[in-house]
Amino acid sequence: MSDAANLAVLRDRIRRIEQPAAGINGVVPFGCAALDCALPGGGLARGAVHEILGQAGDEEDGAAAAGFAASIIARLGAGPVLWCLKRPDLYGPGLLAHGLGPARLVLVSAPRDDRILWAVEEGLRAARAAGLAAVVGEVGRLPMVAGRRLQLAAERTGAIALLLRRWRSGDEAAAERNRPSAAVTRWRIASLPAAEIPGEKGIGRPRWRVELLRCRGGAPASWEMEVADATGHVCVPAELADRPPARRYSLGPSLRRAG
Amino acid sequence: MLAAVDPTAAAAGLVPGMPLADARSFVPGLVTRPAEPEADRAALLRLAEWCGRYSPWTAPDDAAGIKLDITGCAHLWGGEAALAADLSRRLLRQAIAHRIAVAGTLGAAWALAHFAAQDGAPAIPPPQQVREALAPLPVEALRLDPATVAGLRRVGLRRIGDLVPMPRDALARRFGAKGVADNVIRRLDQLDGTAPEPLSPLGAAPTRRVRLSFAEPIADPAELAAATRRLAGELVRWLGRDGVGARRIGLGFHRVDGRVEHIRLGTARPSRDPAHLAGLLLARLDTIDPGLGVEDMILAAFAVEPLGAEQCGFAGDPAAATATGLAPLLDRLAAQLGARALSRLEPRDSHIPERASVPVVMADNTCPAPHPNPPPHAGEGRSRSDRAGVGLSRSKPPRPVRLFEPPEPVEAFWVLPDDPPFRFFWRRRRHLVAEADGPERIAEEWWRPGAAGDAALGRDDAIRDYYRVEDETGRRFWLFRAGLPGTGRPPRWFVHGIFA
Repeated sequence: MSDAANLAVLRDRIRRIEQPAAGINGVVPFGCAALDCALPGGGLARGAVHEILGQAGDEEDGAAAAGFAASIIARLGAGPVLWCLKRPDLYGPGLLAHGLGPARLVLVSAPRDDRILWAVEEGLRAARAAGLAAVVGEVGRLPMVAGRRLQLAAERTGAIALLLRRWRSGDEAAAERNRPSAAVTRWRIASLPAAEIPGEKGIGRPRWRVELLRCRGGAPASWEMEVADATGHVCVPAELADRPPARRYSLGPSLRRAG
Repeated sequence: MLAAVDPTAAAAGLVPGMPLADARSFVPGLVTRPAEPEADRAALLRLAEWCGRYSPWTAPDDAAGIKLDITGCAHLWGGEAALAADLSRRLLRQAIAHRIAVAGTLGAAWALAHFAAQDGAPAIPPPQQVREALAPLPVEALRLDPATVAGLRRVGLRRIGDLVPMPRDALARRFGAKGVADNVIRRLDQLDGTAPEPLSPLGAAPTRRVRLSFAEPIADPAELAAATRRLAGELVRWLGRDGVGARRIGLGFHRVDGRVEHIRLGTARPSRDPAHLAGLLLARLDTIDPGLGVEDMILAAFAVEPLGAEQCGFAGDPAAATATGLAPLLDRLAAQLGARALSRLEPRDSHIPERASVPVVMADNTCPAPHPNPPPHAGEGRSRSDRAGVGLSRSKPPRPVRLFEPPEPVEAFWVLPDDPPFRFFWRRRRHLVAEADGPERIAEEWWRPGAAGDAALGRDDAIRDYYRVEDETGRRFWLFRAGLPGTGRPPRWFVHGIFA
C-alpha cells in the first residue's frame, strides 16, 4: 500500500476517533450553506455538547446566545426542551420570534452552576425516554470533568446539549472565556448594528456576528448574518440580496390602551 | 418561681409554682436552671413525632403529654401491653421518665396516665374494668379547670366514682353552666366515650404507610438505601391493591436518640413504580443524618390518585424501563432541586409585557391555568381577543429574549421630552444610542384594582413608552420611560429587556 493511501486510511480512522458523535447520531444542518460547510458532517452534531458565548456586556445577559440557541432548537423537532438556568428571565414572545415556542420549555432554576450541570446531565440521560428535543444549560463555570460527563451522556442518547455561558462580571468572564472545555463546538454570538433599510429610519434588520471559535474536526470561522427569524432560520445576508426588505414595524406614537 | 422539680427536690418538699427565694430557704444548696418552655415544647413535639413509629395519629398533649391513637396498631406489636412495654423500654433508653396508660377513650387514658400509672407500670385495665379503675381517681383526672375542681371538692365530690352515679341534670344545674370548655358533663361524657374526642394528628395523616424496624440500629448509607428500596416495594404493593398511585410520599427515619428525619417529595403524576419512587428517595438520602443509627423507617403515601393497572413490561425489556415520558425526569429534578425549581413559561392574555409571559411553577398547577385576572369583556369576540393579543402573535412589534423583572433603572439623557435617550448608563456602563424605534405606549390595565384608581402618581407611572434602542456596539435594549412628560415629575427610565 502506498504511503498516501496509508495516510488517508489513518486520517479517516483518526477522524472517527475524534468525532464519533457525528458518525453515530447525525447532524442538524443550519440550512445555510456558509455555516454547514464549516461544520464536519454538514451541520451541528447531534449527541454532543455545544457551547454558546455572548460578547462583551452580553456575556452577562446571554440574550444573543439565547436567541441563537432558540434558532437551533427550532430545527430540532417538536419535543419539550429542558432549559436550566439560575433565574427564569427568558421571555416567551422574544423566544418565539426566533423560532422557539415557549410552551415547549421546561425551566429548571437552580442556584449554582454545579446543580445546573447536574440537571443538564439528568436531562441528557433521560432525553430519549422523555422525548426531549434539546437540553439547555446556562452556566458560568464549566469544569473539564463536568463537560466530559455531559458529552458522554449526550453521545449515549443522541441529544443535543447547548451550554450558554453566562458570567456575573467582566472579571469572571475574562477568567473563564478562553478556558478549554469538552464541548464539540464553541460559538460566540455578538449583536451587530442592524443593517440599514434604505429609506427607513430606526433600527433596520438586526444582525449577529456568529463566530465558530472552536470546532472538533473543523476550523474556526466567522460570519455576519441576519438574526434568526420566527422559523429559526439564520442566513448570511449576501444570500438573499434579492429579497425584498423585511416588513418594518411602524410604531407611531399610537396610544395602546386596553379596553 | 419554680417551673418543674426533679424527684429529689420533690422529696425535699419543693413543688412547682413555689417562689425561688422560698425554695432556696428550704434547700440552701438548690441547683436551678432557667426554664425553657420553648425548648420543652419543641422537644415534646419531636418526641410525639418519634412516637409516629407506633401510629400515624400522634400529637403532643398540653405541657408534658403525648397522645397516640393506637386503634388498629396494637396487634402489630403483639397487643397493647407489648406495645406499652416496647414504648417504655425505648423511652427508658432515652432516659425519659414516663407513665403510660391505654384505654378506650382519650379522657380515660389521660386520667389513668396522670393518676393511676406508675413509672415502669403502665395502666392498661381490660375494657370491662376501666370504670372500676377510674372510680378511685380524684376529680382532677377529669381535666377540669382548678375553679371547677374546687367547687366539686367543696360539695364533697372528691373522686370520679362519686360523680359517675350522680344524675346528669343535677350535675348540669350545679356545674354545667360555669364554663363551656371545661364543664363536668362534657368531660364525663368524654371519659366513657359518649362524647367523641377526635385526635388531630401532627401533620397530615397518610393514606398508606409501611414500616420497617431494625433489630440493630443502622447508619450505613448502603443499608439505608436497601431498606428504602424494600419499603418502596412494599408500599407499591399496597398502592397496587388500592388501584392508586402516589403523588406525595414521605420517608421518616426514626433515630435511636428519638429524633425523626424526613424526606418528603412529590411526583409529577401518580406513580406506582417502585424503582422510580425508590430512586427519588435515594437521590435525597444524603440529606439524612442517621446520627447514632436509625431504628425504624416509615414510608407513607400522603396523597394518592387513581392509577389503573399497568403492564410493567416483560423483564429485561429495555423499552419498558424507559418508556414513561417526561414525568420521571421532572420528579427526579424536583426531588433534588425542590418542587419550586421547575416552571414553565405560560402565555397570558395581557399586553403588559411582564404579564404576557410568566414563569409558572409546575408544582402549583400542572395544567395551563385560566387567566388569573381576565379583562371584563374577555371572550366578547375573536377580533377583540386578537387585538388584546396573547403577546405571541407575530405581527406584534419585536419583543426581547430576556426580560428583567423588575425592570432595571437606568440613568438616561434625552433632548426632547418625546425622544428616546441619546445616551444612558446601565450597570455602570455607558451606552450611546445609535438607532431607536418607538415609542410603543403601553398603559396599565384599567380593570386592575389600584391601577387607574390610584393617586395621580401611580397613574403617571402606569403609562410606559417603550423604545427599542441600539447602542454603538449593536446591542439592542428595550427601554421604557415611566411617567408622562409635562406632569411636573421627571420621567424615569428603565431597561426592561434585551433583544437577541
